[in-house]
Amino acid sequence: MTNASHEVAKGPHHASGAAPSALSAHSIVKRFPGVLANDSVDFDVLPGEVHTLLGENGAGKSTLAAMLCGLYQPDAGYITRNGERISLSSPRAGLQHGIAMVHQHFRLVERFTVAENVILGSRDLSYKLNRSELEDKVAAVAESYGLPIEPGATVGDLSVGQRQRVEIVKALYQGAEILLLDEPTAVLVPAEVEKLFENVHAMTKAGKSIVFISHKLGEVVEISDRVTVLRNGRVTGHVSGRGTTDTKELARLMVGRDIELTTQRASHATGHEVLQIRDLSLTVGGVSVLSDISFNVHAGEMVGIAGVAGNGQRELADTIAGLMSPTSGSIAISGSLTTDRGPIHARELGLAYVPEDRLGMGLVPSMSILDNLLLTRDRRVVVDRTTVRPEATRLIEQFEIKANGPDHMARKLSGGNAQKVLLARELSGGRTATKLLVVCSPTRGLDVGAIETVRALLDDARSAGQAILLISEDLDEVMSLSDRIFVLYRGSVVHETPGESAELATVGAAMAGLKPEGKS
Amino acid sequence: MRSPIRIVFEQRNETPKHLSVLVPLLSVVAALVVGALFLLATGYSPLETYSNMLSDGFTSSRGITDTLGLSTVLICTGISAAFAFQMNLYNIGGEGQLYLGMIGGAWVGLAIGDRLPTFVMIPIVLLVGSLAGALWILLPAFVRSRLGTSEIVTTLLLTYIAASLVKHFVYSPGSFFVTKNSAFPQGRLVPDSASLSGIGNTSLYPSFFLVILIAIVLFWVVKKTEYGYRIQVISDSPRAAHYAGINANRTTMSVMLISGALSGLGGAVLIVGPFGRLDPGIILLGYGYAGIVIAALARNNFSAIIVSGILFAGLRSGGDKLQISTDTPIHIGVMLQGAILLFALGGEAFRRYHIHAVRTERATQ
Ligand SMILES: Nc1ncnc2c1ncn2[C@@H]1O[C@H](COP(=O)(O)OP(=O)(O)OP(=O)(O)O)[C@@H](O)[C@H]1O
Ligand SMILES: [Mg+2]
Repeated sequence: MTNASHEVAKGPHHASGAAPSALSAHSIVKRFPGVLANDSVDFDVLPGEVHTLLGENGAGKSTLAAMLCGLYQPDAGYITRNGERISLSSPRAGLQHGIAMVHQHFRLVERFTVAENVILGSRDLSYKLNRSELEDKVAAVAESYGLPIEPGATVGDLSVGQRQRVEIVKALYQGAEILLLDEPTAVLVPAEVEKLFENVHAMTKAGKSIVFISHKLGEVVEISDRVTVLRNGRVTGHVSGRGTTDTKELARLMVGRDIELTTQRASHATGHEVLQIRDLSLTVGGVSVLSDISFNVHAGEMVGIAGVAGNGQRELADTIAGLMSPTSGSIAISGSLTTDRGPIHARELGLAYVPEDRLGMGLVPSMSILDNLLLTRDRRVVVDRTTVRPEATRLIEQFEIKANGPDHMARKLSGGNAQKVLLARELSGGRTATKLLVVCSPTRGLDVGAIETVRALLDDARSAGQAILLISEDLDEVMSLSDRIFVLYRGSVVHETPGESAELATVGAAMAGLKPEGKS
Repeated sequence: MRSPIRIVFEQRNETPKHLSVLVPLLSVVAALVVGALFLLATGYSPLETYSNMLSDGFTSSRGITDTLGLSTVLICTGISAAFAFQMNLYNIGGEGQLYLGMIGGAWVGLAIGDRLPTFVMIPIVLLVGSLAGALWILLPAFVRSRLGTSEIVTTLLLTYIAASLVKHFVYSPGSFFVTKNSAFPQGRLVPDSASLSGIGNTSLYPSFFLVILIAIVLFWVVKKTEYGYRIQVISDSPRAAHYAGINANRTTMSVMLISGALSGLGGAVLIVGPFGRLDPGIILLGYGYAGIVIAALARNNFSAIIVSGILFAGLRSGGDKLQISTDTPIHIGVMLQGAILLFALGGEAFRRYHIHAVRTERATQ
């Protein structure tokens, strides 16, 4: 530790004086074929601090975090821990230095239980696993941070929010002192976010450091001690001090202009019924997931489905898209029944569907952007890539997708850019002109600039007469875009209100399962 | 305590291109080294043995035609294995499907061979052989696509039954497949209309070019067609396939049937080619199993299988001839085949991971 103070003085932030930063990156460079993902980045986090990385989709945030935890190795530059230079050859080396990361795309074994996932990779396991003892140990760690999890549950059965909790517990169980959280709140509902932030406070109070990545500016303002802004792989700004900044300033720092997310509703009267759902019920494995749902969506109208994750939204969307067969009831698109006729039939009737699950369901990770665009289209017997190529190039431009071109593999896109590819495909029409658009959390993981673009596109689609079903856990989004709002709770519609007169308190109460006074 | 040296496997973000060529090459070299150790241990000169093999397999003109002739069936079983492997379907029963291809080809050749001209009969023999191979994987394909039963177990078990069938058809008295009143049981030769003759009196048959053509067509099918696209989606993410309305069950079924048919074709190629009869000797040759190694070495790439198939054929035919010309241990070729498989599979680690040694710093806690 002889040269500690020297190292720290070189850090970007030396206001804190003597305290060496817990972890810092010095002039880090990381290149991928065709992109400079990190260009001489300096970054540091102090003990007990929350330092946020902010930036557009593809700015290089995840890449920087991946190098800080040992997943990637920098091409140039170095990393110091408590002032001492370290080399992180693998995530395990990172863990040995007390650094752990919760990734944007989770890395859990779905078939394993929570406890098995948490202990996976631990070195000090005995030859024979004592399950109940391990489960108790895992539960104890989770408990001590107020993260309730069921250690015996199979991860594949958990909701995304619960899975994320497992990831955090895993990091803490492994003794992490520095936690890198890559868009942890993207998949959480407000109550879960609140809980997460409580945990973050508990961790920082215990002297742990947090590197936080998020596109939700309100959260960033609330939780961060410092903010570093990345743009095209370079540090373009710093903001420090909790509460001394506002979301507008952050947005400007990020995209270089003011962003105003406005309320948008149908501008003219809506047309005929495009989607008709009658008495829809769905039972999966003996458990009722949807019960007695009936509603219509009209041409030129956006209907929002609000609800806490896991209340049947995913199943509702999948059933409409023809991926699941309802136990009873019927669904019709443009007057034709789609029940039991599969996804291609639904698409031929004019359905486009953005599923909640991106990489792995909406997109094939090992395929190029071009091939992914073909996924929901008519491909002919010999796949005709040459005529689709110009369209792919155009969509990449229109959606500002950061990629090397149509051949860029989906797996190698940044999280937000992958989401943009999915939206580009589904919003640009497929087999037939889109009549019904079912979108699940369309702006999750997008930067503010992209959110503005996507919202405008959804509004355009509505004005063009498409019927839109917006399913989102982001209550703000549902409230500011929808013409009508339904609240889904335990598989039933418990509340219905026009978008204009919707009240946050009432909708929120309905989402929590509290009986609202006036059910319309 | 002194910090121990540890070997670290670091996952590669991207596999460098040159490794995709280097690793298969080095696995062959490594296998040759292991083979040399065995030769040395048993008192033979590795250098002499290998150079004999090389000249018998690759450099003399006789050697070359023999090699290409043998590669015909090996490329068949290679593409058969690769076609299933690329969709993560492990058909390791190519051996049994190959036997069925022989049985089917011999049967139709004997049954109607002398009534039809060659240009009709050859396609019929190849087709019936392929169908017989497909038939032999029908049950594994069905239970795999409907119930998810492991095809590894079912296809392998059926190979043993297929071997018994071959023996039954040759050794049971009065069998349709054997010569009547012969001193010892032996398969009946198919009529001339059902057999090709070697090009220029060599053991290279025109069927070689057919098989090369099939390999190239399959390469194109996988890369360019809707069917290949579907295979790629299903093998990478079944949920995306479901989302896109791609019927995974049906594709699983058809991929396995095609894989079986290709091995069956390998058997039929032997009927129209060098064997001309149902010969239980096939059971010792393991051409079907060799296909697994060939596919692994070529990493399921159909054009690379042509190369690895020919390479294997050279090792095998060179090795076989050694037994005749010298007193070198039997089956050195087969042993090399096994070693190559092990090294090719082990070599995957080098492609996927950056492997290096580090001195560990013990975490101080
Ligand atoms: N494995 C990879 N191979 C090639 N390019 C990559 C790879 N990973 C990331 N990139 C590229 O590097 C750039 C930065 O990506 P990164 O994932 O760090 O962005 P990000 O800031 O986390 O964005 P987002 O907010 O969308 O998650 C992007 O242009 C991306 O396409
Ligand atoms: Mg990211």
